[in-house]
Amino acid sequence: MWAWILHKFTGWVLIGYLFVHVATLSTVTAGAGGELYTNTLQGLEGLLLIRFLEVGLFAVAIFHILNGIRLLFVDLTIGLTVQDKTFYLSLLLTGAITVASIPTFLGGAF
Amino acid sequence: MAEHYSSFRRGGTLWLLQRVTAVFLIGVLAFHFVMLHFVNHAADVTFLGTQARMSELTYFAAMWLFLVTAAFHGINGVYNALINMGLDGRGKKAVAGVLVVAGVALVFQGTRVALAMSNLV
Amino acid sequence: MSTQVESDETETEEATESDAEPSPGDVRRAEKEARAAEQAAEAQREAEEQAIADQETVRIKVFRYDPEVEDKEEPRFDDFTVPYHRGMTVLDGLIYARDTFDSSLTFRHSCRQAVCGSDALFINGRQRLACKTQIQDLDTPVRVEPLPHQDVVKDLVVDMQHFYDQMESVEPYFDPDDLPDGDLEEQRQTPENRETVKMATRCIWCGACMSSCNIAAGDNQYLGPAAINKAYQFAMDEREGELKKEDRLRILEQEHGVWRCQTQFSCTEVCPKDIPLTEHIQELKREAVKSNLKFW
Repeated sequence: MWAWILHKFTGWVLIGYLFVHVATLSTVTAGAGGELYTNTLQGLEGLLLIRFLEVGLFAVAIFHILNGIRLLFVDLTIGLTVQDKTFYLSLLLTGAITVASIPTFLGGAF
Repeated sequence: MAEHYSSFRRGGTLWLLQRVTAVFLIGVLAFHFVMLHFVNHAADVTFLGTQARMSELTYFAAMWLFLVTAAFHGINGVYNALINMGLDGRGKKAVAGVLVVAGVALVFQGTRVALAMSNLV
Repeated sequence: MSTQVESDETETEEATESDAEPSPGDVRRAEKEARAAEQAAEAQREAEEQAIADQETVRIKVFRYDPEVEDKEEPRFDDFTVPYHRGMTVLDGLIYARDTFDSSLTFRHSCRQAVCGSDALFINGRQRLACKTQIQDLDTPVRVEPLPHQDVVKDLVVDMQHFYDQMESVEPYFDPDDLPDGDLEEQRQTPENRETVKMATRCIWCGACMSSCNIAAGDNQYLGPAAINKAYQFAMDEREGELKKEDRLRILEQEHGVWRCQTQFSCTEVCPKDIPLTEHIQELKREAVKSNLKFW
């Protein structure tokens, strides 16, 4: 049951982010020249909060992808008898990959 | 099979498309993250860098397909989640309309942004 | 002295059969037997006293609700302490509680051997059959509630009509396209085909699966795992024929049919007959997609 709940939750986060993403990029690509773009985005990247949110977004995306792969296997009726184990595996991998990516995301933020 | 009608009415098409877009999105979303956070560092983003990437036709095409498939997958996902929660009748039709409009708007605006990032147009 | 006369007589009889007095060996043996008998009687008395003294009990918390009784208009939990014996099921406990403590305790049960499907309940947070659930496998106090996501009529009884409606809507009966020519000719099924539908036939209509499905809870029109499984049993039966299979798929392919299943797997987990419900639903989705892709 939790797999379904988490997949839904991460899904909502991702589609919400997509709208926000396109809206933000619309604002910074308006007008001539790339200064607004470069300054705004680098400014955002300078905020520690943004760096942490990026890690969060990454974790959300990774889980949705990994559990999504699990669901694709289920839809192909492969591995149905171990579906609970594959869910735990996707949780584990999400955690591992997120933790491993923290240095990259937070690099240069301090 | 002579009486076979369009499968649209049967509801299986959206289900299948959700899976097909999912497969594509796995690859392209992972690629997007790796490209923008691991290969290039987000803190070093500049318009020139973005423009260089987006001006390459294959990259641009991939990003545009990313936009379309992500919009479809996400909005169809939201639609299904709402039906599962009991959305029905007139409410369902209204929400479906809003979602379609939102999706089209998203793709439309996203295309404009992508073009603005490139020097293709 | 009448006794003396008798003893004279018995002694005379004994004298003819054996020695006048029992031998030392006989005396010892008799004493030994008497001691043994006494010890056995003593042991039995002790065992009985022990059994009564530390008789094991188990606490059962049962959901109570009765809109027609003032006291129970607000749902509450009643505590029953019932004697425990090895091999006891939750149903045993409920029956004891009803028979001994509160005859107004209401719940469905019938066969008590997991074939009628009457006593599906929410026990310790999970849908189970009360007759099939051993108390020794549960954490105490045992919490017994009616099936979730259905209207409660009274105590542990829920309104099953919606469940039955969904089951009936898939035409859960064998309905072949055409019957064989001969009057007494059988409709044969290969062992492989039987194997395909075998697990689906085990459904006892208990409702545990539908109660465990979050989509069935949210979407009232969803057919539910039990109904789709029943449809699977007949749709995959080769004896029915292609036309009937098309009709069945048409029902299943509606928006609130197989497509609502999000592979939550709760139905498969709680099914008391171990039917692979999600697998059957998935196979029907594939059947639907395959038949729709064949646009030629």
